[in-house]
Formats: sequence, C-alpha cells, structure tokens
Amino acid sequence: MNGRLAGLWGGLALTSGVALTATSGWLIVRASERPVILTLLTAIVGVRAFGMARPFFRHLERLRSHDSALGDLAAARTRVYAALVPLTPARLGRRSRSAVLTGVVDDLTDVVEAHVRVRVPVLSALVAAAFTTLLTGLLVPTAALVVLAWVLLVGVVDAAGLALERSAQSVLGAARAEVGRAAELVARHTSELRAIGAEGDVLDRLDRAHDDLGRALRRQSRGRALVTGGVLALTGLATLVMARVALGSDVSPGVMALLVVVPAALADAMLPLADAVRARARAEQSGARMEALLDQRPAVAGRGTGLLACRAPHLRLTGIDAGWVDGRTDVTGVDLDLPPGRRVGIIGANGSGKSTTLAVLARHLDPVAGRYTVDGRDVTELDLDAVRDLVAVVDDEPHVFATDLRANLLLARPDATDTDLVDALNVAGLGRWFEALPDGLATGLGAGGRGVSGGERARLALARAVLSQRPVVLLDEPVAHLDSPTATSVMRDVSTALAGRTVVVVSHRSEGLDSLDEILDLTPTR
Amino acid sequence: MRPFDPRLLRAAPEVRLPVAALTVVAGAQGVAAIALAFALARLVTDVVSGGAWQRSGLWVLGAFVVRAGLGVLVDRIGASTSHRVSSVLRRRLLQRWLTAPVEGRPDPERASTLAVQGASAVEPYAARFLPALVAGAVVPVLAVGALVVVDPLSALVVVVTLPLLPLFAALIGRETQDDTMSRWRALEQLAGHFGDVMRGLPTLVSYGRARRQVDVVRAVSQQHRAATMRTLKVAFLSSSALELLASISVAIVAVTVGLRLTHGSMTLHAGLLAILLAPEAYWPIRRVGTEFHAAADGATAIDAILTELTPPASSTTDCPAGTGERQRVGPSGAISRGVVVERVAYAYPRSDRLVLDDVSLVAGPGLTVVTGESGAGKSTLLDVVAGLRVPTQGRVSTATVHYVTQRPFLPDGSIGEALRLGATRELTDAHLLSALEQVGLAGFVSGLPDGLDTSLGDDGFGLSAGQRTRLALARAVLSSAPVLLLDEPTAHLDGESADLVRDLVRRLADDRCVVAVTHSADLVAVADEHVHLTGSLVQAVPA
Repeated sequence: MNGRLAGLWGGLALTSGVALTATSGWLIVRASERPVILTLLTAIVGVRAFGMARPFFRHLERLRSHDSALGDLAAARTRVYAALVPLTPARLGRRSRSAVLTGVVDDLTDVVEAHVRVRVPVLSALVAAAFTTLLTGLLVPTAALVVLAWVLLVGVVDAAGLALERSAQSVLGAARAEVGRAAELVARHTSELRAIGAEGDVLDRLDRAHDDLGRALRRQSRGRALVTGGVLALTGLATLVMARVALGSDVSPGVMALLVVVPAALADAMLPLADAVRARARAEQSGARMEALLDQRPAVAGRGTGLLACRAPHLRLTGIDAGWVDGRTDVTGVDLDLPPGRRVGIIGANGSGKSTTLAVLARHLDPVAGRYTVDGRDVTELDLDAVRDLVAVVDDEPHVFATDLRANLLLARPDATDTDLVDALNVAGLGRWFEALPDGLATGLGAGGRGVSGGERARLALARAVLSQRPVVLLDEPVAHLDSPTATSVMRDVSTALAGRTVVVVSHRSEGLDSLDEILDLTPTR
Repeated sequence: MRPFDPRLLRAAPEVRLPVAALTVVAGAQGVAAIALAFALARLVTDVVSGGAWQRSGLWVLGAFVVRAGLGVLVDRIGASTSHRVSSVLRRRLLQRWLTAPVEGRPDPERASTLAVQGASAVEPYAARFLPALVAGAVVPVLAVGALVVVDPLSALVVVVTLPLLPLFAALIGRETQDDTMSRWRALEQLAGHFGDVMRGLPTLVSYGRARRQVDVVRAVSQQHRAATMRTLKVAFLSSSALELLASISVAIVAVTVGLRLTHGSMTLHAGLLAILLAPEAYWPIRRVGTEFHAAADGATAIDAILTELTPPASSTTDCPAGTGERQRVGPSGAISRGVVVERVAYAYPRSDRLVLDDVSLVAGPGLTVVTGESGAGKSTLLDVVAGLRVPTQGRVSTATVHYVTQRPFLPDGSIGEALRLGATRELTDAHLLSALEQVGLAGFVSGLPDGLDTSLGDDGFGLSAGQRTRLALARAVLSSAPVLLLDEPTAHLDGESADLVRDLVRRLADDRCVVAVTHSADLVAVADEHVHLTGSLVQAVPA
C-alpha cells in the first residue's frame, strides 16, 4: 500500500518525460512542413505543460516516497523492537549482543529502504510503459506491440540481473565482514600487534580479505552492468524496429518522428531499474537475516502467576540442564544453593556453561531439566517479572545510553532521588570521576556526549546494580575487557559495593575471586 | 569537503590508473550520448523524408550498443576502481598506524570507525560520484560545442541559462544553510536514538524497562520522520526548482527552433539536433548534485583519511613535542644484542606529569629484571623500549624486540594462528608443540578436541589468565628477536606454573637479552641484573 501513491507520481513524471519527447518530435517535424502557426498551438501548449509537469510530479514523488518510507521505518522499528524484547538476551547469541543488535538496525533500514528504491521505480516504470503502450497503440497498433515486447524483454533482463546480484550477496556479506574484522583488529590492537612484530601478518590478512571482497564486488557488478547494458542495447533494437514500423504505416511524418523517438524516451524510465535490482537483492538478504533472528521462540515461557513477598530470597538450582539453542545442552547437572548473602564464583573452561548457568538464575533461559526454586517455590509457578525483579545483571558489555548520567542510572530505579544516585556512584568507586564531571548528573554520556572508559563503564553498570536494590546481583565477566590493574580495582569495589547481597560472579580471570564464599568449577572432569 | 581531492592521487599513486580508466570511460560515455543525438536526428529526418533509413538506423543501433558497452564498462570498472580506492586507503591508513607510536594515532574507537566504515563509504563515492562528476564536466561542454556548430542561436540560449543552475543552487544553498545545520544536529540525535536503544536492549530488559520503551521508540521515530521531512522539503524544493529551470531553458530552445522551422530559416535535421542536444547540457550537472548528496559520506571520509595519512609538519600542539630519539641497531652495532636507554623522559599525551623522568638503563644479554611500585612507570618503560611510545626526551637504542604485554594479546582465531603471529620463519606444528612444551601447555593443547586448531573465540575467552600468559610466552619462545621484553610474566600463575615460567625465562636469557618487569622475588633471584624504578631514577640493585 505504501509507496503506491509515490509510484503513481513517479509514473506520471516519467510519462510526462516520454510525452514531452514524443510531442516535441512531432512538433518539430510538423513545424518543418511550415504550416500556419495556429495549427501548432495545441502541441506547443502540450510541450510546455509536459515540461512543467515532469519536475512537478517528480517533486510530489520524492516527498511522498520519502515520507512513506520514513513512516514504514517508524512502524517497522517499533514492531521489531517489540518483537525483540521477549527474545532478549538469550536469543541474541552469547557474546557481542550489541553487534547483533546493530546489525538488526542496519538490516531493518535496508528492508524498509527497498520500499522506496525498489517499489517506486518499478511502479513508475510500469505506469510510464502502460501509458506509452496506450499512446502508440492509438496511433499504430503494431507500434504498441513493439513497445510491449521491448518492456517484456527489459523485464527479463532485470530478472537475470537480479539473479546475478542475488548470487553475489552472501559471498559479499562474508567478505565485507572479514575485511571489517581484519581492519578492526589492527585499529583496536595496534600496539599489541607491533609489540610482537605481527604487522606483516595482519596486513597480509587484510590483503587477502580485500582480494576476496574485490572478487565479490566485481561479481556483484555483473548484475547491475547486465541491466544497464541490456536496457540500452534493447532500446537501440526497439528504435530500429520502430523506424521500420513507422515507415510501413500510413501516418503523418510528425507521428513517424514521434514513434521513432519513443523508445529512447522510455529508456529514461527503465534505466533506474538497475539500482532497484541491487536494492532488492540487498534487502532480501537483510530481510532473511532479520526474520531468522525474530522467528525464534522466547527462551523463557513465563506462564506462572505466583508473587513473592520476601526481599531476601533463597535461590536454589538442583540438577539443572540448560542450553542456548533448542536441542542442545550447554551445561548439565548444576547444583547451586544461594541463601541470602551468599557469594559464589563460577569458573571453568570455554563452553563449560558458566554464562548458561547465570542466564538460568536471571530467568533469561528456561532450564531443560532440573529444578530452580525461589524460597522453595518452583520458578515456573512464579510471575516471570517478579523473579527477574530480584536479580540485577552486570554483563561484559554494559551499555551507556546517549543521554545524561541521571537517566543512565534512573533506569535501574526510576523513583530514586539524586542523593541515591550520587551514593550509588560513590559506592561503585565513581566518586572522584563524578566530582570531575562538568555538569554533574546532567552530564551527557555516550555517543555525542562524554567518552566513558572501559573501567568507568563497568563501574556504571555496578552503580546501576547497587541503585536497583535488587537482592541478587549476577556478574557475567564484568572485567573481561579491562586491563589487569583496572580489573583488580573494579573487583575490589564490587565486593564492597555489594556487601550483604547474594552475588554470583562468572569469570575466567582470577581477580577478585579470592574473597568469595565458594567457587563452582564447571570444567567437565575428563 | 571538496568534490574531488587531488591529495588522493598524491597519497595513493596506485589508484591513479584505475581512476584515470574510469574517467576515460565516463568521458567516452558522454561522447557516445552526443553521437547518439546526431544519429537519432539523422534517423528521424530520413524516416520522415521517406529516404533510405537503413544506414542511419544502423548508426542509431551502433550508438546504443556503444553506449550499452560503455555503461557495462562504467559499472564494472566503477566496481573495481571503487574497491581499489577504498582498500588502498584502508591499507595505507592501517599501515601508517602500525608504524606510528601511540601518541600519533587516534583513539581505538575513532580509528576503527575510520578504517572500517569510513573506508567503505569511499566505495559509492568512487563508483557513482566520480563518473557523474566526469559526465558533468564533459557532456555539457560537448553538447554546447556541438550546438555552436549546428545552431549557434540555441548554443547562445544554453550558454546564457546554464550558469543560472549553479548560481541558483548556491543561492538556495546559502539561504537554507544555517537552518539546515541546526536541524542536522537534531536529526542526528533522533536518528541515533533507535540504535542506542537497541544496543542497550539487554540492559533495559534486565531492569524491566524494555516494554515501556516501545512507545518511546514509536514517538521518537515519528519525530525523526517529521524532522527529516522538514529538512527534505527544503532540499527537494531547491532541486525541483533547478529541474524546472532546466525544463524552461530547453523549452526556450524548442520554441526558437520551432519558430525558425515554420519560417523556413532552419533545416529539420538541425532543428531536431538542437532539441536533442539541449537537454544533454543540463541533466549531467543536476546529476552531479544528486550523486554528491549520496556520496557526501565518502567525500568526508576521504578527507579524514587523507588528513590522517599526511600529518602536519609540526607535531600536534596538545601533547608535548617528542624530541626523544630511537634507533634500531643492526647486527653490526655495538649493542647489537641489547637495549640502551639514555636519560629518557616520558609524559602521556595531554599530560604534564612525567611518568618517566631521566631514566637510563643498559641491558645486555642475560636477564635484567625491573621492579618498582605500582605506577612507577615500569610498563611505560617497556612501551618506550619497544617503540610503542616515543620518549619526550632522551634516546633509546635497541635490536629487534619481542614484547609480551601484561594482558596477553590473543586475537580471534586458532591457537596455531595466534602462535604464528609475527613469526619471521616458517613454523611447523612440531615447532609450535615444542614451544608449548616449554611453557607446560603441550599436554593441555594436545588434549583439546581440535588441538592447535582450537578456536580461541571472543578475545581468547575460555582460557584461564595463566594459560593465556603462557601462550603468549610460547610465542616469545618462537620469536627470533634478540631482545625479549616481558611484563609481569609470572602474574596470574599458580606456584607450579610460576616456577616453570621462571626457569623458562632463565633459559631464554642464556642466549638473548631479556628485560622483565616483575613483582616476583623468585624471578629477581635468578636475574643477572636488577634495577628498581622509582619514576625519577633507576637504582641498580646488586644481584
């Protein structure tokens, strides 16, 4: 529905263009026969009208197509966001969730842009083709057949171009991703690479990735080139056939001229389809990726209705099996008893199920087997939000929103006072940092605001957890991306800030694990 | 922001040929468009006069086929040229950073944006905008030139009206500029909101705030729509005005041609040519405008990358001028196998405090340990020796170094790939396993399901800190550099592994110069030299 009106306006603009060329051709030839000027007046008015109508309709098309695309984008964003909420975080993959979500934002833009970049030019071209067929058909029926055949052949070329573009899309995506990884590695770890003399190795990797990308791009360009070249070559043929048809029919010289120039005029409507083909292939790929992500079952069922009275809950996992992907278990037989105030560290090798266990505790993931109880009641009988409200999670990539510090903290507890916020910052070890901020709690952070270092970011997440007053705090690799001295000092602050609460820390590093009550090693015994 | 920056051809000479090829093909396309107008006018004249039309018909077909061929070439050459320009710029940029000290590089966030997205934005610029720019320069000149020969009066009309296009564009642009700039910032914020909320979704979900944000997303998206449309209305109005101006100009040409035809003062062929050629003078210029709009990101990125590639002659003003020197000494040098640090001072960029102040150190073959309080500048000293930082004052001379940083660097990829990083010779699996044996990891790695091909995953996730340190040490064992710098090699290790690493470091020091920063008394005990760093001075401690 959206884009149809824009397609109509675009079609009228293109039609005006065809009509302008056709009428001009007729007019010039007729004028050369030196008639009384009055007999030309209608055509002169027509030429002027078509000349003005083209920019006018083009303007309407632009306004309409952009507005409807932005409207579609607003609706699609709201829909996709709402659809992602129940899938977050467990269905977004286990690491680099922010990269996954950034990918969704880009894919969504591609898909919605296709409305403007595919639907509008295709509809416009169809309208112009229909008009041209009608016009030529009224003058010489055979000429209409030529136009029709030409338009059909252009359609075939477009389809072939689309198939070529499509076949290059997946290779292209993979090649771009590898170039991005190689460049990112150098940009973010320049010093580390220089330290071990690996400059040549990474540049070789970049060169290989560039070569692959170059091949993929050249392959992709075959699609667009086919459409551009095909449309132009077909136009040449159509002009030739049209000249033959014009000569063979019993029409005035002016109409003959009109018929001869019509294919060239209509080519202007068909050439933009080369871009439409590319946008279509791209949107298909993006759409498929997005649907695959959205088309998942939430990782928690959450049908329970039971509420909890107590704010110092006793959590207990008994014989828990759980997995991120349906049909696979990442962890088996976990027993963990968490009376109020207990502090446990979970360690273990890659893939031993540390984060999986944490996700079960946070009610982000339903266990496949075993029992998870809160104060002796099975969590599946309890209201999902009620259990989640007990738990604050600090992960390895805490997000700082592009807004002020106050709003960044308030999301953890909307009714907190400014004093509460400052207290939380102090407890999380951000006291001195806060003092140095130019505008206090109103200081803008994140993109467009003040930069926040890795250590400050981790501490902000900690401050949120402190502020939330939730009795259980789960820390998932809180210092994974920090250097050792910063990691040590953050973990020291964690242990003081969370005094009295139930704490579970997942880490593959030793910093800060020594002060805990218990260490649970999930490494499978071989 | 310039349409074309000649610095590009100077900074990256290897793109000259592809860019020249693209220019030639795009120019040829313009010539073909003019030729097509001639052929089409001839065909119409022949058809109308009922004469022999086959010849001119073939000319038209030929002109279309040539245009088709050139169109294919522009797409194909455009794709490879744009990739070439973008990849050469990316490579140059990264290569420069790989030879620059920390002080001469942008922060990692900006560096990564520039090298990944920035360089990619150059692709549409080169593929689409450059050919449009060439066509915009070539086709109008050819069209006017042809008109001068065919019909001077039409040429005059075009020459008079053509400059109005850029003039109008500039006037409208200036009128709306202030308005646009202020809206632009607001737009950027609105546009960024969705991405920000999306990246923060896990945080919002965990604090139960996500569902409430659905309405915010809807509201902000609608605000973004309204704000964008306000900006676009102005932009579209100006481009439509230009299109209308071009239309009216062509109409003037058509009217004068028509009048002269009815008069009999002009031939049909000349008249047809005039009205076919006149539009060719206008549309390429308008296309430059539209394509530039789409390629503006690329032009900005090129500017930023070229600025990064050609640093100003004087060093940046916000950090103390690095007057220190550094020499890499070849095998013939007097200290071919060691490190000499002479009166080195160092302050971090944008800081006045000297982390290192007048530090001197000579380390020959054998084990030199550096101790000192936390914050005394031990790691900074190693950074300076390794050439990662340029001393503010003083001199550093050293042979090739291999530096094991405190946080071991293990990129995504397999264990084997991580160990082969920086290797100057072909390393077989046997070499790797023997190095792993020396750090006590051979059994562990062989026991992994994929052995040396086991993926290290995100940032080496899954290995313990001790295992990561020992992998980095295995890489140092494999390195052929005569100087090894080790930052806290025994931190994070349990007693047994620490002993193993201590013995390894001792063995490595038998035929290399090893400088180790450490807190470990065990390591100090086996050292040949021991220096204690207190920031301002270095004291030799009798070993």
